[in-house]
Amino acid sequence: MTGLLLTEFRKLRTIWSTYVLFGIVVVIDLLFGFAIALAPGGRRGGTAGVVPHGSSQWFTNVFSVLDNSRLLALVLGILIITGEYRHKTVTPTFLAEPRRGRVVASKLVASFGGGVALGVLTMLAGLIIGFVLVAVKVHSCVTSFTKAGVNQGMSQTMCNAQHGLYFVANTHDLWHDWSTIAPGVILGTGLFAIYGLGLGALLKNQVVSIVVGLGFTLVVEGIVGAIWPAVGEYLPGGAATALEDAGRTTIGGSTPLLLPWWGGALLLVLYGVVLAVVGTLTTLRSDVT
Amino acid sequence: MASIEARGLTKRFGAEVLAVDHLDFDARPGGVTGFLGPNGAGKTTTLRMLLGLVRPTSGTVLIDGHRYRDLPNPTMRVGAVLEASGFHPARSARNHLRLVATTARIPFSRVDECLDLVGLSDAGGRAVGGFSMGMRQRLELARALLGSPDILVLDEPANGLDPQGIAWLRDFLKWYATDSAGGDSDGRIVVVSSHLLSEAQLTVDDVIVLAAGRLAAQGKLQDLLSGSKRAVRVKTPDAQRLIDALRGANLRADLKDGYVVSEGASAEVVGPIMVANRIEVHEMTTSTESLESLFFELTGGEGMHPGHAAGLMGDYRQIVDPGSAGPAPPAGPSGDQQ
Repeated sequence: MTGLLLTEFRKLRTIWSTYVLFGIVVVIDLLFGFAIALAPGGRRGGTAGVVPHGSSQWFTNVFSVLDNSRLLALVLGILIITGEYRHKTVTPTFLAEPRRGRVVASKLVASFGGGVALGVLTMLAGLIIGFVLVAVKVHSCVTSFTKAGVNQGMSQTMCNAQHGLYFVANTHDLWHDWSTIAPGVILGTGLFAIYGLGLGALLKNQVVSIVVGLGFTLVVEGIVGAIWPAVGEYLPGGAATALEDAGRTTIGGSTPLLLPWWGGALLLVLYGVVLAVVGTLTTLRSDVT
Repeated sequence: MASIEARGLTKRFGAEVLAVDHLDFDARPGGVTGFLGPNGAGKTTTLRMLLGLVRPTSGTVLIDGHRYRDLPNPTMRVGAVLEASGFHPARSARNHLRLVATTARIPFSRVDECLDLVGLSDAGGRAVGGFSMGMRQRLELARALLGSPDILVLDEPANGLDPQGIAWLRDFLKWYATDSAGGDSDGRIVVVSSHLLSEAQLTVDDVIVLAAGRLAAQGKLQDLLSGSKRAVRVKTPDAQRLIDALRGANLRADLKDGYVVSEGASAEVVGPIMVANRIEVHEMTTSTESLESLFFELTGGEGMHPGHAAGLMGDYRQIVDPGSAGPAPPAGPSGDQQ
């Protein structure tokens, strides 16, 4: 079983598509993160519902895009199993380990690992966004002093010291928000990769699995969630929201959810494992020709 | 001792297709076993059932008394070369083998040994996507050899190999079956499916012939071929005298197309008779039955390879077996290879 597990991780490491997927995640996070940070609504500040730049809530808003990474984790999980069929590597895989349930079990673990790695990358991207925003903020503070005739060194000192350590305070907010959100994002990507693997094991076809997986999460769950919010919360996407809120509620508070964070996590594991077991007993049991 | 035994092995695809029909066969160590049959005879399906990739409808095929999926680490017992397509195009050849080695807990040094063995050591770092068909086939062989298994199963391994590669493979398989396991051993089992009969005749010691999913023949190739229709054909101006002389020696002799044909005779028998009777000879040829003709007899000439049917076989039958109608010319290439 250990060898099988190492094999699955090696499979991920030895093709460039894994790295491309990871790269896409980082690029998307950066683009969306900065887009939200620089959105006009964020600049006005002060009015109700609009979040002032640099506030704790501002980082929370920016970081909320990071949760979307789990959609790509879903794709990662799907690729881990359907790629074997697409490239027919399933033949050597099942020759080396004919007990197919074991293969799927190690793929579940590998998916979780891959998803967690993707979540960690996402949070690193978030950190980059955060530091850039803080740096920009300090820079604009210094600029406002120098424009008023204060010399550079003094401006810097004043910005750092003014109103209780400007830069330090913001960095503190950044760290606080980042570390509060990180566990939910990372667990979310890990568990969504498991969900994706289960889906792929059941449907086997790569394109169909991706279309169904993303379509269900984005469209079907959106509709169900709008009509019956209580039902929507128990679907995979909804269950993942419970993870988000593990961080969110401690920061700003939000609409109360029925599921605690661990309930959402358990539900997601259940979705992934049940789909994978059903897939193993039906689709994957079929002949490899 | 390694063994493969199939008993009542049956595979049905859907309601209509009976791909393999109550097949019984054994393969013995120490020789290359040819698994022969026309396209669609059930060769690939049978081999895939042996390897646990296809589930039999009924019956069993056991390796050392166990089903493939019950072997603890099958890579060490059985090596399989199947259609050359099970590769991720972006993964390097070396990494492809390392995956199997990781699962089977085989040291990576063995990966390089096997790459070297099949002549791919220089290409080990290259992505398999850029490999030729022959290189992929050799990589498959390297994968099969990773665990130094006592049983080697190859499905159409000559596909995509150049003539040198085929000759190399022939020698390699013979060596693997007999000498590779060491002197004390009974040797290893090598099962190779093929539709290239002339090639198979040079390689195999035993044959298992399938036709329409059923066993048509099984045994040592030499046993199956002996007692067969060899013949001597002589062109001579003294045809009648030769016929009389041969018949006088209790041999069959007939005049066909201007040649005296003695079925069942050998040149060693006919030659001295001609010398003793001072018969002038212009041409003398011998023919022995080939695996090919045996194959067509066993399989009823159905679904044969177009090239063989049109060329080699037609000529041959005219010589040794003019009574039977030659195979019907093919309507076109039957590209139903599975």
